[in-house]
Amino acid sequence: MTSKWRIILVFLLLIASVTLPLLYTQLITLTEGLPGRILTYRLHRAIYAVLAGIVLATSGCILQATLRNPLVDHYVLGTGSGALFAVYTTLLLLEHVTLWVISLAAALGGLSALAITILIAESISGGDVAYVLSGIGVTSLFSGLSVLLLYYVASKYGYASLMLTGTFIHSRPENLPYTLLATTLILVGYILLAKRLNVIMLGDDHAAQLGVNPNVTRLLASIIAGVSASIIVSQFGVIGFLGLVTPHIARFILKTSDNRLVMPLAMALGALLLFTTDTLSRSIMTRIIGEVPAGAVISALGAPFFLLLLIRRFRGGLS
Amino acid sequence: MISTKNVTVAYKRSSIVALRDVNINIPGYSVTCILGPNASGKTTLLKTIAQLLSYNGVVEITGRDAKSIIRELRRILSYSSTLEERDLLGVTVLDVLVYSRYPVSRGFFTSEEDITRVREVAEKLGVGDLLSRRLSELSAGELQRVVLAAALAKDPRILLLDEPDSHLDVYSKIWLSSFLREISGQITVILSTHDPIFASMTCDYFVVLSRGEVAFIGLREELLKNTSILEKVYRVPFTSISLGELHVLLPLNQNTHRDKLVKLEEQSRRDTSYNSSNTRGDH
Repeated sequence: MTSKWRIILVFLLLIASVTLPLLYTQLITLTEGLPGRILTYRLHRAIYAVLAGIVLATSGCILQATLRNPLVDHYVLGTGSGALFAVYTTLLLLEHVTLWVISLAAALGGLSALAITILIAESISGGDVAYVLSGIGVTSLFSGLSVLLLYYVASKYGYASLMLTGTFIHSRPENLPYTLLATTLILVGYILLAKRLNVIMLGDDHAAQLGVNPNVTRLLASIIAGVSASIIVSQFGVIGFLGLVTPHIARFILKTSDNRLVMPLAMALGALLLFTTDTLSRSIMTRIIGEVPAGAVISALGAPFFLLLLIRRFRGGLS
Repeated sequence: MISTKNVTVAYKRSSIVALRDVNINIPGYSVTCILGPNASGKTTLLKTIAQLLSYNGVVEITGRDAKSIIRELRRILSYSSTLEERDLLGVTVLDVLVYSRYPVSRGFFTSEEDITRVREVAEKLGVGDLLSRRLSELSAGELQRVVLAAALAKDPRILLLDEPDSHLDVYSKIWLSSFLREISGQITVILSTHDPIFASMTCDYFVVLSRGEVAFIGLREELLKNTSILEKVYRVPFTSISLGELHVLLPLNQNTHRDKLVKLEEQSRRDTSYNSSNTRGDH
């Protein structure tokens, strides 16, 4: 297949991954004959799942490429738990908080956690496993603190406990601007960074002699990936491993590491995976065990994949 | 073509002076070798010319200050050492070559022109069959060829190669030597190496570094005559051997080779005088 057709197919799939979930939701809800406000709620929920999938998958692609590390995403690097801790702290400290303040706090918390993980990992050895170990430490720290804070926060805001494992149950129209902001940021990141990150993957000296400043690119990439993922966390909670799994599947399908194609395919996969999980959890699982947070299902699926990657990493090579 | 004036490089963290007052003039369209023991400043000099390090002094390329033509330099100059070999993100040989056209590739996506040029370079370097392979699936020799292909992918006019002969077997070294000599008609090549035999087979011009200072600069023929410079720098005896048109520098083992060589030289002198007296006898 020529490269032109591959590009067209990938972007058609991306468009389909956004439109089909919305069409499906509308169709199903209308055939069930449910009232308009349910349709509005479900459509919002579908849009959020799709856009969150896009943001988290791209964020994973950016973090993996910029750190030249296949074992990371915003969750593994502690960004998710750092953002959540900042959200809980803000809810606890401030009497009246708007979603703007929560998003800002999450972005700062997420970036701080990411910075701590990177600094510790670089001080150990800078190897890919050092990032995982350092990330586990930072995630444990902020998750533990978040759970402690939750005892107080949950009394004020009942839905806060749902954010520990990301969910779209409490989807509201108010979430839309923030979700769109994160999506816009990550799309700008794709256009600005995809080509540069390809070069960064080959090494810093190689990138520099081609005219790509590795330090500036890495800083920009970390900020864009960290902030956009943190905003999603501030709205829907921590959804782990989606950003880790989708880039690997995209690379496997495309047989290339080219971020200009891997990122849009990972976006499509992220959107479809998160929407499907959320829809299954809303429709089928509700009838059996009650509604399960989509984040929990994704983690249950993603964590074994992560362990598989880790094993293959130590046995030499990855496919 | 490429000259440095009073170039000094000091690493801030370790306060080590890697290069001190380096003044060299490297001719264009030739193969220049930077020789020197470990930590003599070979890589630092290559990186300084490539504008990858901060330095004091002036580097001039085609008569212009390199700092003032940095954007152009990224298109016309390739610096190549090793690629990040932690190939865990599925990087293929084709990816490496396509990405390495970054400063000359137009548009967001890979163009047909990029693909055509990359295939040409890959064929020229004998890696045309490896394009869909991942870096981790390559042998050390194949990887070295891919690294060279990546350096050539953007059609540079100046090629800086940091130890391009490392990990290569004898066949590949000979191939690399003749390839570099062939392209030096269109490209100025500067390389560093630890192998004096490879260097003397390949390079026309030599810069010998010792602890960050220039110990010798000049043509191969001059260095072949003055092996004492290398002996001083490497603290190993050297000799030069000529076999027809082939001239090579050979390091020797202080204890064993020198005695053997003296005997060989005596033997060779005796044979020559015997042959010449025989030839005279024929007349």
